[in-house]
Amino acid sequence: MSFYSLELYDYSLAAMGSGHGIQGFSFILAPGDVCAVESPQADDGRLFLRALATLVRPLRGSYVFKGQHHDLRRYNDMLGCKRKIGYVSPGVALISNLSVKQNLLLPRYYHENKLDIDLDEPAMALCRAMGIEEKIDQRPAGLTPMEVQSAIIVRELIKMPEILLLDQPEMVVGHSKFDALAGIFNRLIDERLPIVFFSYDERLLSPFVNRKVRIADGRLTAETVPAKPTGTTAEDDAGKR
Amino acid sequence: MERVIGYIGRKAIASITHLMDLFALVFRIFSQVYNPPKAGRVLVRRIIVQQLYFTAVQALPILIPIALLIGCLVIIEFSKLSGQYDFSRLSVLLIVREIGPIITAQLVILRSATAVTIEISYMRVLKELEAIEMAGLDPIRFVCLPRLVGITSAMVGLFIVFDLVSILGGYAIVWAIASIPMSHFLYRIAKAVTLSDIGVGLIKAVLFGITITVTCLYRGFEAKHQITEVPIATSRSAVECFLYCLVMNVFISIVFYL
Repeated sequence: MSFYSLELYDYSLAAMGSGHGIQGFSFILAPGDVCAVESPQADDGRLFLRALATLVRPLRGSYVFKGQHHDLRRYNDMLGCKRKIGYVSPGVALISNLSVKQNLLLPRYYHENKLDIDLDEPAMALCRAMGIEEKIDQRPAGLTPMEVQSAIIVRELIKMPEILLLDQPEMVVGHSKFDALAGIFNRLIDERLPIVFFSYDERLLSPFVNRKVRIADGRLTAETVPAKPTGTTAEDDAGKR
Repeated sequence: MERVIGYIGRKAIASITHLMDLFALVFRIFSQVYNPPKAGRVLVRRIIVQQLYFTAVQALPILIPIALLIGCLVIIEFSKLSGQYDFSRLSVLLIVREIGPIITAQLVILRSATAVTIEISYMRVLKELEAIEMAGLDPIRFVCLPRLVGITSAMVGLFIVFDLVSILGGYAIVWAIASIPMSHFLYRIAKAVTLSDIGVGLIKAVLFGITITVTCLYRGFEAKHQITEVPIATSRSAVECFLYCLVMNVFISIVFYL
């Protein structure tokens, strides 16, 4: 079993939007890492997060999730990884012909093969914290954009992800939910959930972040290598690579 | 001259590629039927029932009057032309073999194919399909398979309803309002309908259902970034569905009746 949650080796990504793409980088994410992504080009930062979420196929490179190599061309194989990755971004959406509650329960409906299940107490507590408890029976069209984004955060958190990717979370929930969001992050960090932020808001970054990577001119640089945990041997690492 | 040949060649290659893509999509959807994972069966079944309701049940109030009108017209016209002797046979030939499948397909294209293309295009443009993927669900199984099964089953059901209503309902209306001699009409119809007529009609309905669904799903998935791509995809899918159904109708009729 690998110590690292996610490893990308010799990865190259084609440009998206107004970005430059990212060429020939490696990236390792370990439990307890809270990594900030800095980039003058928002599209490059977003591209990086989408690549971690396996939503973008690389030009070349290998993707290792929880110690297992994955071929990104094998679509069904990648769905198992996607399910374990929480991805919050202003670009993601709720499914519009399902209610908020059905959106939150969709993975459970599918994987548990039951339709008569309800939100459990931790999920309801998250809904309360994010201020959408009253609206869970409505469809996304009945929610404000901020409430939709709050529901997306709740959806991604109740998946019990093994990695959390946050693309500009300050835009996602607005200032009124900032404290609630910071409280949730604190709890997740205490649980050593690896988190990758792409944010321009220092208030969000400075209290949490313990590593930074910078993407500029198609290069990923200034990465701080994660500290090795106690009890992990060199053989473990060598075997993994 | 070279330019013209080049243009024709490029168009031919593009058309063949498009057809191959459609077959690839059919193959991917059918692979879900033959090798179904246990997860998601209840959810998929529920979406199939919803799709059946949208495509079949909600179409009945439109389909039944159309079937009655066409049934009346065909019976009246053929009785005038043939002087009753052959008109039940001709009505059956025309309705069961040709008009039934085509009109049903046209109705499904107008109501459901356009709706499905718009729905899938919006899901793609608004990144709802990505949300489905990130939940660990395969959109082919969760989105495409229920629509294929639902629309194809609805197509078969609507075709049967159309045939029954147009022949029996048309007969009833003509009997009530016109003075055309209708003796032994039903008996002649029963004698005129062969198993191959029913079989070919059903084959057409199934193939039309598959063609319509796959074409509108494919065009829906083609929209990627802009909302303005949605009407283009919808228009293309409607025209292509109709064209493919017509070509297939002619092809099947030639294979079975010539």
